[in-house]
Amino acid sequence: MNPRRQKRLVAVTAFVLLLGGAIGAMLYALQQNIDLFYTPSQLIDGMGKDKVKPEIGQRLRIGGMVVKGSVRRAPDSLKVSFDLVDTGPIVTVEYEGILPDLFREGQGIVAQGVLVDATTILASEVLAKHDEEYMPPEVAEAMKGIKHVPPSQLYKESDKGQQP
Amino acid sequence: MRKLAFFIPFVLFIGLSVFLFSGLFSDPMARESSVLNKPLPAFSLPDLQQPDNLWTAEKLKGKPYLLNVWGTWCVTCNAELAYLTELREQGVMIIGLYYQQPSDAAFGEVFNLTALQQEVKLKLEQQGDPYQWNILDKDRTLIFDLGVTGAPETFLIDTKGMIRYHHIGDINPQVWQQKLAAAYQSLQE
Amino acid sequence: MIAEYGQLALTFAFCVSLALAVVPLYGSFKGNQIALELGNPLAYALFFLTAFSFWALSYAFWANDFTVVYVASNSNSLLPWYYRLTAVWGGHEGSMLLWLLVLAGWTAAVALFSRSLPLQFQGRILGVMGLIAVGFYAFVLFMSNPFMLSLPYYPVDGRDLNPLLQDFGMIIHPPMLYMGYVGFAVSFAFAIAALMGGKFDSTWARWARPWTLAAWMFLTLGIMLGSWWAYAELGWGGWWFWDPVENASFMPWLVGTALIHSLAVTEKRGTFKSWTVLLAIGAFSLSLLGAFLVRSGVLVSVHSFAADPDRGLYLLAFLLVVVGGSLLLYAIRMNSVRSQARYELFSREVLLWGNNIFLLTATLVVLLGTLFPLVHKELGLGSISIGEPFFNQLFYYLVIPFSLLLGLGPWVRWKQQQVQPLLKPMSLVAIATLILALGTMAATQSIQANLALLGLLLGAWVGSSAIFELLQRLQQFGSITQGLTKLNASHFGMTLAHIGFAVLVVGVAMTKTYSVETQVRMKAGDQVELAGYQFKLVEVYDLKGPNYSGEAAELDVSYQGDYVTHLHAEKRFYPVQRSVMTEAAVHARLSRDLYVALGESLSEDSWALSLYVKPFVRWIWLGGLLMSLGGLIALCDKRYRRRTASLDQKDKADA
Repeated sequence: MNPRRQKRLVAVTAFVLLLGGAIGAMLYALQQNIDLFYTPSQLIDGMGKDKVKPEIGQRLRIGGMVVKGSVRRAPDSLKVSFDLVDTGPIVTVEYEGILPDLFREGQGIVAQGVLVDATTILASEVLAKHDEEYMPPEVAEAMKGIKHVPPSQLYKESDKGQQP
Repeated sequence: MRKLAFFIPFVLFIGLSVFLFSGLFSDPMARESSVLNKPLPAFSLPDLQQPDNLWTAEKLKGKPYLLNVWGTWCVTCNAELAYLTELREQGVMIIGLYYQQPSDAAFGEVFNLTALQQEVKLKLEQQGDPYQWNILDKDRTLIFDLGVTGAPETFLIDTKGMIRYHHIGDINPQVWQQKLAAAYQSLQE
Repeated sequence: MIAEYGQLALTFAFCVSLALAVVPLYGSFKGNQIALELGNPLAYALFFLTAFSFWALSYAFWANDFTVVYVASNSNSLLPWYYRLTAVWGGHEGSMLLWLLVLAGWTAAVALFSRSLPLQFQGRILGVMGLIAVGFYAFVLFMSNPFMLSLPYYPVDGRDLNPLLQDFGMIIHPPMLYMGYVGFAVSFAFAIAALMGGKFDSTWARWARPWTLAAWMFLTLGIMLGSWWAYAELGWGGWWFWDPVENASFMPWLVGTALIHSLAVTEKRGTFKSWTVLLAIGAFSLSLLGAFLVRSGVLVSVHSFAADPDRGLYLLAFLLVVVGGSLLLYAIRMNSVRSQARYELFSREVLLWGNNIFLLTATLVVLLGTLFPLVHKELGLGSISIGEPFFNQLFYYLVIPFSLLLGLGPWVRWKQQQVQPLLKPMSLVAIATLILALGTMAATQSIQANLALLGLLLGAWVGSSAIFELLQRLQQFGSITQGLTKLNASHFGMTLAHIGFAVLVVGVAMTKTYSVETQVRMKAGDQVELAGYQFKLVEVYDLKGPNYSGEAAELDVSYQGDYVTHLHAEKRFYPVQRSVMTEAAVHARLSRDLYVALGESLSEDSWALSLYVKPFVRWIWLGGLLMSLGGLIALCDKRYRRRTASLDQKDKADA
């Protein structure tokens, strides 16, 4: 092997080793930071075909509806707990901090946290989601923003429409 | 070797696009409905236009029908009204389950039945009325038991009051033909 | 009526883009002079038609024309006029029209400023821009038309602009971002034009450099503004979320940064040729990928526009044609290209190669973190989300070697560098670094081995190295004052951008380490202490705005008994959109921010409040600002403005 080739070989080997190491480190870090998403029934009954249940202490995300009347606040701190449900079993979420602006009983939320016992999650973050409405594309296109026109204003409106 | 190396970016990109493509078509709403093949949960809710008239799961038995969860606030629901009306004219029985959004005191909203009745009436006059009648679920209790996560959603119920199909999203000719028409026909017999 | 004219102009613009995609390219392959010369007028026509169309939509917003569906969905008669105008790009359709305007603007700019390029090459660039334009104009016209009317039943009033977007940062953030994204289309067009010609000397790199720099500058500014907007508007003191939409803008930035460095090597040394072309394709491809991810609803994010599989399918097809096609062209054409230049292991070429490797690894990290949830779900393994620590952790590892290289890079010569002459200046830089970093630690906090110390060391290393190198360079001209007039602008720009990076690193490390926050329950008159600051809640009262109502909290802040400032935080309810907004109160100083957000009302007289003290958080945006300012200064370099062939020759001799 001539020196130029040798140098090239060293460079290529170094590059491959570096790349392999980087990708390995990346995948390892990735594995450490995956949070699976459960619904309350999946959490209790298990998820997928094998009915896999999360382990106690596992980090996860849970999404469901806040059960009416289940929000309990501590009188002197920001501790709060509430129940979540989708179609069956109920799961309790405990949280300390400010709830999101759109948090309401009967609304859907997503919480991120750790499973502390079979039906309780200690949340580090609570997100409100608004999913009350689906928007199939064509429909959303055609109808977006059309609000109902009160009858009292119908006449006035059609007048205006003729002279834009 | 060297020549082939220049194809690596292209190959990687094509591999990525396959996932993007399948991601595009995986329905984020798709999941097993846990109410399927179970009887309609027990309830007792008023008729929207005649609140004295209470509807229960028992009273609804006898004919197969579609239970359509909707609301005037929901743009998608309004859009499917026309097609549902067409279905009604073909003889399909459709019952509306009115999804009332929670009145949010923070926004100064108060529930007003008369105003709602007016609104629904006008909307159905304008866009078509597919419903035999509407059931008002003001506190979203039945909606909750049915595992509804949004509107519109539609349930196909058989003569014995069993839930045979749960459709999430709007009903259009395609959805009807592919998913619901056959099931509905079989229940007729 | 105006909206109809806008629609008409947009339709004409689409036809013009078709012509632009065909005529100059035809001319370039057939050697047809007339067809080539038509490129410029077509580019200008495209711009003026699009500008008119954009004006028409803005007018519809200004005049509260709710017959236009898009206006009705994104505006309201109660909205103040300046937000009505910025609402033009507050939704999907309008932001696509803005995208078109920017694209047409860049195309016209290319036509205007590259008249001195060989006509054949210019025709190819305009042709490629035209091809991209056809895809986007068709998308807007047929799948996201902002001029759609809702006659005869149109609403009395609009649904209002999303309150999150009612903010100054939002007014300029998307235009800047799009200038960046679409600007990379120009670099892309240069690369593709070079690929079509099959001739790879360093000229295309020299021509493409100022365009890439300009796009990079806008993108830097756009990302920085986005981060600032999130900090001010989302109400929990975060400035970067690793949200898919942010990642979508960050990936082209990383590759674009690699590209401006790699272009320098290709221009000056004639190597890295195939690599640079790949980066030019990559930067624009990632911009397109970003557009696809954000607008197709494949990834669900707070920022996502309404999900729409049809649009997604179209964008994916477009992505396949543009990116797949260009990568295929690349693979076929690049076979024959060989670099002639030789360089040693310790040379600027190798260090810049290292820069590229780290930037691309960072891109890979972001790409993996963004797309892995999608892959995971498609493999049937369930829905997941990737935690923020994944990104943070890997970026810590990447920034350390990257910064070390960055401190060294500007000192090292092309081709080959002897170690000996560098020992003295580098040890000076090292001493300065230690003094600066340890001095800052001792002055502000106690000295601890932690992230802050690491960040200060790296920042000081990069910053002092950049300054020393500039001084040394200036002295080569005789004296520093003489040097100031003679040294070219791009060197100043580079130094400033590197200092900006140093400032950013210090800001991130200090904020990450020393930020403190607390969420408390308070009554009027209550006092809470945080990091030595006493926050006293004076009162909370009701609020009434033009299109919202809400509550406001007044706080007094003092530090060790001395009055510091008065803070005013709001919580707003927007009835039309049924949404709630937290308007945080921020007291900003270079060394720290005080940040208060008003939470929910817990009972009659007590409220939840979030209090934050965030040291050095301003440095993050200051760093970004310095970086884009560096780009601007480099852009003013005289070399980019002299364009005649003879001077190009002279340039070569200079370099």
